[in-house]
Amino acid sequence: MTTSHSIAGALLYVRLTTIKGWFASRLRRLKQPKYLVGGVIGVVYIYSFFIRNLTQNGRGPWAATPTEAMPLIAEIGAAALLVMIAVNWILPRGRAGLAFSEAEISFLFPAPIKRSTLIHYRLLGTLTTLVLTSLFMTLVSGGWAISGSSAWLRAAAWWVVLGTVSLHFTATSFVVTRLLDRGVTSLARGALGIAVLVVAIGVPIVWTLMSLPAPTQEDLAGFPQIAHYAEAALQSGPLPWLLAVPKLVIAPMFAADARAFALALWPALLVLAAHYAWVLFSAVSFEEASIARAEKRATKLAAFRAGNLRTTALKKLRDPFKLRDSGRPETAFLWKNLVAMGRLFTPRSALVAAAIVAAACLWLVTAELRGGQAFVGVAATVLLPIVLFFGPMFARQDLRSDLKNADILKTYPLDGATIVFGEMLAPIAVLSAITWLALLAVTIVGPGDQIPAYVRLLGALAIGVCTPFFCALQLVIHNGIALTFPAWVQSVSNQGEHGLDVLGQRLLFFAGLILLLALGLLPAALGAVVTFFAVSWLVGPIVAALLAWLVVLTILGVEIGAGVRWLGERFARFDLSSELRP
Amino acid sequence: MIEVTGLSKVFGTFTAVRDLSFAVRPGEVLGLVGPNGAGKTTTLRAIAGIIPPTTGQVRLADHDLLTDPVQAKRALAFFTDEPRLFDYLTVRQHLNFVARIYAVADHEAIAMPLLEELEIADRVESLPAELSRGMKQKLAIACGLLHSPQVLMFDEPLTGLDPLGIRRMKDSILKRAKAGAAIILSSHLLHLLEEVCSHVLILKRGEKIADGTLAEIRARFGNGDANANLEEVFIRATGGSE
Repeated sequence: MTTSHSIAGALLYVRLTTIKGWFASRLRRLKQPKYLVGGVIGVVYIYSFFIRNLTQNGRGPWAATPTEAMPLIAEIGAAALLVMIAVNWILPRGRAGLAFSEAEISFLFPAPIKRSTLIHYRLLGTLTTLVLTSLFMTLVSGGWAISGSSAWLRAAAWWVVLGTVSLHFTATSFVVTRLLDRGVTSLARGALGIAVLVVAIGVPIVWTLMSLPAPTQEDLAGFPQIAHYAEAALQSGPLPWLLAVPKLVIAPMFAADARAFALALWPALLVLAAHYAWVLFSAVSFEEASIARAEKRATKLAAFRAGNLRTTALKKLRDPFKLRDSGRPETAFLWKNLVAMGRLFTPRSALVAAAIVAAACLWLVTAELRGGQAFVGVAATVLLPIVLFFGPMFARQDLRSDLKNADILKTYPLDGATIVFGEMLAPIAVLSAITWLALLAVTIVGPGDQIPAYVRLLGALAIGVCTPFFCALQLVIHNGIALTFPAWVQSVSNQGEHGLDVLGQRLLFFAGLILLLALGLLPAALGAVVTFFAVSWLVGPIVAALLAWLVVLTILGVEIGAGVRWLGERFARFDLSSELRP
Repeated sequence: MIEVTGLSKVFGTFTAVRDLSFAVRPGEVLGLVGPNGAGKTTTLRAIAGIIPPTTGQVRLADHDLLTDPVQAKRALAFFTDEPRLFDYLTVRQHLNFVARIYAVADHEAIAMPLLEELEIADRVESLPAELSRGMKQKLAIACGLLHSPQVLMFDEPLTGLDPLGIRRMKDSILKRAKAGAAIILSSHLLHLLEEVCSHVLILKRGEKIADGTLAEIRARFGNGDANANLEEVFIRATGGSE
């Protein structure tokens, strides 16, 4: 017979070895330069932005906050906590589930372990994990620390608040499960919750508002007076009773020194312990929901690791256009990726959108609606740089989303450059189409009295023709980074990855992106400037501008061609499995 | 025709495949066997052009895979153990896409009988997420067979298939071999290989231990038992352990 002592020992062993293994794997991968560089940059970033502030000035900008405002801030904090808990009771949620991993479920659920031991194990695991979260919150909130106590005490205060909230949420889910087991639907429970909250919170608030005198001009004269009035409001009527427990929970965060902290900590720990007992003695079935939750988490993680950020159910999508059996293979990739982008992104949709934009803008012009024209003009002008600069980052229906299928793509009878270029076509087409729509709007509603129509048209044409080149250049860079540093791209786009090294990688990734784009655009910009000034005195500024524009297109085209060819060769040698090998 | 000469693949300091040479002629089915970690999948991936070999030469349908990869791959179909599909394309759209890549004229006339043979003709408008694992495998096979390849490579092709699916798959492999295709089949299911393969190649720790017809392998490792099954032969050949 297994004793509870040995089971506790085994569970403790699992927990400790898991933590140890996690740290060991993090340290081990720092042996790889790509993670070491990321780790160093992450540490420097954390130190520069958080730790240095923490050590230089414990109270940061809040140091100027008068001590008298502290009670009010505490009252507001307690009220916020109360609202958060109230919302948690009202919002619909499924059956109770504890956050076990799939491995824990496989080993622990069939094992001869009491349910209460499993709950202890999971709750203690969660509370242990919250230590790290609390440290992180202390670092992040270091600049606006509102108490005078040390960073360690603030971390402990964060842990109490986060632990209590986490336990309260679990207890709520257990109560909901019990109600569901008794046949109470989510809707009925929501209605009941609202009714209870109206009685428990709404009535005291109304009571307070009715009993409190309306603010006078003196009450609203300045921040201290408003704060004083708000504090009086929160302390009058039955509100203090309602906020009593939340105030106990957050009180350690507002302790002025270690002694005050120690005094505030015990009541807060009692509330936490009461929540722990509440969860422990809630006799509800959590196993099924825990399994479902673990499966969902594992599926999500697997999807992220495979580079697929879309984990929701996919819908069947119609063909964007008829794909014939013969023709350029790149078109097949365009077709495939347009299917992936959704129903909106078809040539037909683009034409319909263009007709609507043109008709709407022409109507604004003919009806002389200046306000509407200005609004559309500004909106389209703002949209242009956003699409051009940020679009390629988010329109990832290219090699970045197809890396997991690299093995199959490489068996196709196509050279690497064809595959790479074909993959890039859909984002180029979609981003160009959106840009052209914005240009169409700007051209029609633009200030006719200031810029002649033909100039607007020529300008739009010039930018419109450049757009696919500009998008393609950025996509070459994005796909180049994906093929050169797949592990980085996997980790920076994988929301399941954490750590200083990953943070550093993300910073480096974006810095690299901007640098490469600048380097890519520099020759075209230089070429255009040199061409314009070299020939404008000879052929006039309009022809010189046209020649400069052609130079820009040529240089960008050459860069893109060379980039695609290089990416194709890289893709031919690419092996994701060995690239991601730790 | 598959010709592999002096193939090696090294990952860092680890040699996954060492100096491997063999040939599979039209109509032959070669069973690639070996313990876990023997280098079977690496060998198949290198022969399929997915990963470049460190050294050696691979010729598929008389085309050198390194110097003329596009023509070599035109004759090839590679089936992974885990079906790799595009999440957002339906069965019909998968076939349409592959048809364009391989320039298969009038692909629908070829695709429908294929889908019927594989028993997924009623799922043409389904997404991969709506298919069982076995059906996904069948879809991957339909995509691979659409262009009538002369060279077929299967890595654990029966994973996820039901008994009827396994029977049909075996028949399908034999049918393609009879039609003149050169086939490599990697699997741990030795009884399957025994039924389907004309030749066997045994790998251990990246090196070839033996290759030849089933009879030749039996004669070498059967300890004089001409009826020894492939499982016994495999255990003797690989020393009974990994």
